[in-house]
Amino acid sequence: MSDTTVFVARDIITMNASRPHATHVAIRDGRIIGAGSAEDAESWGPFTLNEDFADKVLVPGFVEGHAHAMEGGIWDFPYVGLEDRWDPSGKRWRGAQSLDDVIAVLKEAQTGLDDADTPLFAWGFDPIYFGGGRMHTGHLDAVSTTRPIIVLHSNGHLLNANSRLLDMAGITADTNIYGVLKDDTGKPTGELMEMAAKYMAYKQTGNPFFGGINLYSLQRYADSAVNCGVTTATDLFATFNETSLAAYLEASQTPGYALRLMPALNTIEQSVEEGIALAKRALQDNNDRLHHRLCKVMTDGSIQGFTARLKWPGYHNGKPNGLWNMDPESLAELIMGYHKAGLHLHIHTNGDEASELMLDAIEAAQIACPRPDHRHTLQHCQMADASQFRRMAKLGVCSNLFANHIYYWGDEHAAITMGPDRARRMDAAGTALREGVHFAIHSDAPVTPMAPLFTAWCAVNRQTRTGAILGPEERISAADALYAITLGAAYTLHMDHLVGSIEPGKYADFAVLEDSPLQVAPEAIRDIGVWGTISGGTPHQAAVRSG
Amino acid sequence: MTHPPVDFTVIGGFLGTGKTTLLNRILAASRGVRFAILVNDFGALNIDRALIQHEDSKIMQLANGCICCSLAGGLVDSMVELMRHRDAIDHILIEASGVSYPGRIMDFARIDPDLRPGLTLVLVDADNLRTQSRDTKLAETITAQLDSADMFVLTKTDIASPEQTAWTRDWVAERAPHAPIIESRPDDAMLVALLTDPGPDAMVPDVDTAHSVPADQPHSAAGRASGHEDHAPALHELFSSCAMTATRPIDETAFRDIVGRHSQDLLRGKGFLRFQTRHAVWQQAGRLLHLDDADLDETETSQIVLISSGDLAPVVAALLDIGFAAFGPQKQRYQEAANSAAR
Repeated sequence: MSDTTVFVARDIITMNASRPHATHVAIRDGRIIGAGSAEDAESWGPFTLNEDFADKVLVPGFVEGHAHAMEGGIWDFPYVGLEDRWDPSGKRWRGAQSLDDVIAVLKEAQTGLDDADTPLFAWGFDPIYFGGGRMHTGHLDAVSTTRPIIVLHSNGHLLNANSRLLDMAGITADTNIYGVLKDDTGKPTGELMEMAAKYMAYKQTGNPFFGGINLYSLQRYADSAVNCGVTTATDLFATFNETSLAAYLEASQTPGYALRLMPALNTIEQSVEEGIALAKRALQDNNDRLHHRLCKVMTDGSIQGFTARLKWPGYHNGKPNGLWNMDPESLAELIMGYHKAGLHLHIHTNGDEASELMLDAIEAAQIACPRPDHRHTLQHCQMADASQFRRMAKLGVCSNLFANHIYYWGDEHAAITMGPDRARRMDAAGTALREGVHFAIHSDAPVTPMAPLFTAWCAVNRQTRTGAILGPEERISAADALYAITLGAAYTLHMDHLVGSIEPGKYADFAVLEDSPLQVAPEAIRDIGVWGTISGGTPHQAAVRSG
Repeated sequence: MTHPPVDFTVIGGFLGTGKTTLLNRILAASRGVRFAILVNDFGALNIDRALIQHEDSKIMQLANGCICCSLAGGLVDSMVELMRHRDAIDHILIEASGVSYPGRIMDFARIDPDLRPGLTLVLVDADNLRTQSRDTKLAETITAQLDSADMFVLTKTDIASPEQTAWTRDWVAERAPHAPIIESRPDDAMLVALLTDPGPDAMVPDVDTAHSVPADQPHSAAGRASGHEDHAPALHELFSSCAMTATRPIDETAFRDIVGRHSQDLLRGKGFLRFQTRHAVWQQAGRLLHLDDADLDETETSQIVLISSGDLAPVVAALLDIGFAAFGPQKQRYQEAANSAAR
């Protein structure tokens, strides 16, 4: 018989309604025997007592239902965002509060580059709060005039280039292309948007983010997960090829790998038939730490990029409606195909016209081929109104709301994209709860930091960066938010029988916290310290924060 | 080593308008042009397996020198990858999904000197446009396609009722008045001919012989297949055409005005022009117009060829007015048309 270990903790929040709190949890073979009192522990037979976490709080390992393994690899490039972030190794990247800060980060980063003409890439740039001062070629030329420099904006819509790159690309005052932004004198500012301009930039430098995942990035992704208490995470837009599938499998079989991975096949990379065949073939790789079956669909773009598809009255500032990723008819056929094949769809829908189209498609698929427990999930689902949530409840559709958006872009949405009324119902966790929709909340890392306690804080407080409360009626309780980052998210992934609560038979996956999210003040949830995780019974300590 | 720019064509149109069918025909009749075709799903192209020399998930190389590339990684990355092999490509054809904005895709060629902006061809389904035009989910993309098309091709006219076809033609013409609308025919030889039609260099030696076809017999094989090894008909053999010359310099503004005003009748126009202020190469296909500087002899005469699926008389008449002379059997008719227009 295998050994039994009993962890003792100050509090164990189980998310198991029949035993909500415990002080002891017994583990054997990576699974939970039971949670209860010291007395209960004695009943499970001989055990080794682990008191390392006696002063900590254990909760079910957090489940990140929408993030990308790119979070692991992107930290090889300098981060120039507004707020402090920590990379998987625990190194702090200080937020760039001004253009001077950005330049300083880039100057430091290029000391690591050998040649004077090696391209330099940076990401996460967020100029919204720099008081209208836009970055231009002059700023980046101060870093280098010999190497091309590309700075990606956090909104995914724009990039900044230096003069060297513009020269290489032949972009001058005579370039009259939509997407090449110019100053009052007609000179290109170095800000580039839209496909054609980005193409010209990457044609010179290559796209460093093109390569896809590998074992290294999956390892770093797991490190990042440990740092924030996540034990199950999706890679929610995955190219399935020999390299990537082998990397998932190898990572999942590496002893001590701290994450249960859930890659989602990118369905737009191949025909529906080929995609279904790929997704089904991948099922053979499934093991305790690798759970294929998810398939990702992209329908529209982003709200802050004005590419999300909106119902009337459209964008608050009058911008034209956004872009479909595929013909609506093809999208509906795709849903039908994967639904009939028994696969699990995770569908990117930012605007309410996109969520409506997908609800129509799922309804048609359910009529054609009833599946009682499909759990197809609308991802982001940021602008769904109450009527759409009622349809989701009827159709058995889940939603995974982008709660972090409220903090990062909420002010912009109220003022510019959605207007003061519709912005209140963005990422409407309160409505989802009222209408009985199973839901999760997510980070979309690396778009925003992976940190479920922060995401929970967003859903509980709905506070924007400037401190405004966006739609107080959509706030949810700390208990509901904790559910959303554990069992709620597990449900949307069809994993609630394996993870998401501390119950007998489930994987022994816990987040080890310094405090209870149910005890601290709601505004302090994001400040709770994370010691690390226990994954399959094995403790993994978060990286020590530095810098 | 410098390469000539790669031609760049965008083929747009909603789902089911026949883009894949057209691309198949182009691949089958590439006439020695090494096409690179970028499509969402090249499995749908149904290429004869015997022709495939190499295939992986992103790229397929054919025996005739053409390649097909998957757009799966996105247009930006696919184009970056493709242009690494530009010396193996003469002409890039992009299959624009029904919901993309063809004009934004043509911007690739407008910004990249390694590419030469070509036609934005939008296919319109005569059987379905009426339904599509009422779908609010498609409203913006319909507008974008109408705005950016140099030329429209009406497809499915064999399925659509004559009333539907007429409605579709009117609906498009009203919203994009300067773009030619041509009807797709079963073999689409004309579209292949249009996309492979050589530039003015190949045309000039033929000017004197004036392969002009009577407008009332547009499909007769009156002309001769010049410059092509195979038996596929050249563009001027399929439509009415007219060759014109001018010995005195032409007023560029007047010329631009005429070819702009009559662009819906100009399936193709090409030639060398001696303007009052410069020499230029003229290349036109519907609303697509290039008048690039050319290095010509001072004494050179202006020489042009016009090809139309409709009526050439009005544009020829207008050009006669600004100093051109017409060749061939239609000269008399055009002259009369010009005279009556003058009266």
